[in-house]
Amino acid sequence: MKCKLNFSIASIAAAVLMSTSAMASDLIITFDDLNPDKKAAYDAAVEAFKKANPDINVTANNGDREAHKGSIRNALQNDSPDVITWYPGNRMGPFVDAGLFMDISDLWASDESLSSNFNAIKPTMTRDGKQWGVPYSYYQWGVYYRKDIYDKLGLSEPKTWDELLGNCDVMKEAGVTPFTIGTKFLWTAAGVFDYLNLRTNGYDVHNDLTAGKIKYTDDRIRATFANWEVMLDRCSFVSTHATMSWQDAIAPFANGDAAMYVMGNFSVGQYKDAGLKDEQIDFFQFPEITAGLPRAEEAPADAFFIPAKAKNVENAKKFLSFVASAEVQGEWNKSIGQLPPNAAAEINTEDKFIVEGMETLSTAAGLAQFYDRDAPAAMAKEGMQGFQRFMLDPSTLDEVLENLDKVQAEVYK
Amino acid sequence: MISTATVPTDRFATSTGRAIIAGVILALCLVALSFISTNLVQELFGYSQNIKAREPTFFIRMGLLIGAIAAAFVLITSLSYYKRNKVAVAPWMFLSIGLVFFMIYVIVPIFQSISYSFTRWNGLYDINGIWTGEWVGLNNYKLLLNDPNFYTSLWNNLLWLLLFMLAVPIGLFIALFLNQTVRGIRIYKSLFFFPFVISQVVVGLIFTWAYNPEFGLLSEVWSWFFCETKTNIMGNLTRVCSPEPPSILGDETMATYGIIAAGLWPQIAYCMILYLTGLNNISSDQIEAGRLDGAKGWKMLRHVVLPQLKPATFIAIVVTVIGALRSFDMIATMTQGGPYGSSNVLAYYMYDQAVGEGVGRYGYGSAIATVLFLIMLVYISYFLWRMYQDELEAR
Repeated sequence: MKCKLNFSIASIAAAVLMSTSAMASDLIITFDDLNPDKKAAYDAAVEAFKKANPDINVTANNGDREAHKGSIRNALQNDSPDVITWYPGNRMGPFVDAGLFMDISDLWASDESLSSNFNAIKPTMTRDGKQWGVPYSYYQWGVYYRKDIYDKLGLSEPKTWDELLGNCDVMKEAGVTPFTIGTKFLWTAAGVFDYLNLRTNGYDVHNDLTAGKIKYTDDRIRATFANWEVMLDRCSFVSTHATMSWQDAIAPFANGDAAMYVMGNFSVGQYKDAGLKDEQIDFFQFPEITAGLPRAEEAPADAFFIPAKAKNVENAKKFLSFVASAEVQGEWNKSIGQLPPNAAAEINTEDKFIVEGMETLSTAAGLAQFYDRDAPAAMAKEGMQGFQRFMLDPSTLDEVLENLDKVQAEVYK
Repeated sequence: MISTATVPTDRFATSTGRAIIAGVILALCLVALSFISTNLVQELFGYSQNIKAREPTFFIRMGLLIGAIAAAFVLITSLSYYKRNKVAVAPWMFLSIGLVFFMIYVIVPIFQSISYSFTRWNGLYDINGIWTGEWVGLNNYKLLLNDPNFYTSLWNNLLWLLLFMLAVPIGLFIALFLNQTVRGIRIYKSLFFFPFVISQVVVGLIFTWAYNPEFGLLSEVWSWFFCETKTNIMGNLTRVCSPEPPSILGDETMATYGIIAAGLWPQIAYCMILYLTGLNNISSDQIEAGRLDGAKGWKMLRHVVLPQLKPATFIAIVVTVIGALRSFDMIATMTQGGPYGSSNVLAYYMYDQAVGEGVGRYGYGSAIATVLFLIMLVYISYFLWRMYQDELEAR
């Protein structure tokens, strides 16, 4: 009864609205970043969308990123918004396979920007030959280093593996720990592994590994770990890395005790907060290991998806194509200091890291999403624990790899 | 009604009218319920999720359920059987509501998770609310037997149970020490009790910082003996130690002990307060009698005081075992099971595999939960048996 009553009130209200203006419709968006700059960029984009579509009644939600990883399950199954943020690559796999995300291949085919300016990132948004989301931002990974330490020791940016190892020798001689890292939360170690594997074996082998087609005890992967062992030996990492988060690990870097950091571009702001000036830090691409291998890079993207149970699909698609446009992508990423996936979008040319990042990614032969997004979550968890264990004690390598094979056999069934 | 009051032999007769009305309502509610919710058993065991729970039928179903329960009560109370056996039946009727909720929230989930442990499932239902897992028989248990992390967790659980027991004697010692009448003793008692008042998460954080090899309390002390301050290449001060300060939470051989030590701090306080209250109740006659017989020191403690503290000791052991099995929060705040899973216990490993960071191996996590349940069952059975024996003695 109550339901009927509600319904009749709603229909009366709708009738009144219709008589006064064009039919109003809803759009509910769920975002997952409360960091001040990220939040501001999202809010600005939503405001711009409202202005462009005054007839759509937009509800914009925002929440904590870690909490979102848990709550999205409930959101997709019970209480769907019309647009929701999530990660591409294998991380979207379970939801796509369970039919909880909507296939938006038609939008990719018909939209002007999506069909022409997103070719580099399109493969990571694709599963089963269809596209499932629209990326709004991504960033490069590489080696961030203390330029002033390099200058003082007369070193230059290494282009090859041997040059890097040579640089490390000079630094250790001078009492500087070459690399800082904090592996308490594991994923930082995966960044190092990804680069070593991409440079030792290339993009295809790396992809096959994270897709479960190659075993961890394969000779090619062993070669990667052999290089890592050389790196641990000659380019030592800070010794207490297992108790530090990635932010903690900035302290020795800022103090001048360590000179390099394998990281993503989101870290630049934190270096500056720690007291480093723009001219003290710089960036180089992870050096070449196997000569002549096409250079692939890490470039994790963040994207919007439409849940299969969304109620206002037309509006959701309108929002996605709005987000895909060159102007919005340019504005959004300028304010958060990251890169627009739309190749036609403008970038902030005053930020040297963004310029170098654009250069790095636009010339890359392939883009990886990062180990914990390319591999299924269960595999990634075990893999990253294995990497940490290997870093603390390289003699456990055989045990680590055999255990990873066991988990792999189970996870990819 | 009037006839039942006036004629004594009809006191136990069924009030037919009331029973029939209640019976009809009960039957109607049950029929309506069975029409609205299909597959009750499947729903109960989680193999299908009713995604329309929030829609109006949810309230209708709740209404029908409450109606059915009320009708059942009326029906039962109007039967002559009930009237004859009021004393025996009434307590069960009061208990029944509690029992129903105990069933729904404790008993059914236990069987649910046992049944999930025979499946491979990532925790998702598809768009139609259909369960997406598959049945794999004993596979999860086979994997468990080959999983080094499982044995690490099991061993750590054992370490927790054994070392956590230290809280009982240490708590007793502090309680004996504090059981005297000195000026301001209440302040000292409160100070000793203080750690139990703080949340476990805060205790975890305090110890994590204290253990930190870069800036922790421990490394400060270490640097008095083994470190010197030097100027590094950029002209900043830096600390050089030889040997390096121990990285307690970052070393697989020390991490678990480090967390147990942190957990002992509040647990000792808890045991202490239990013993302090126990000491208050010790009869002074017996102490005096012991003293007249020449008992002193250790003998007095062993033969006069401790026997009287037996109930306190029992409770202290029980809460300490429970505390050791609840180690989840300390591990979650201090190491998240790291480094590389070496400080996991079964409870945390289960959480990690099923819910944590979207790993989503719900079947495997349930298998771990089932093993943990079986282990705890041993302890719970002993505890219940012990309680039962005490009841018998009391009679």
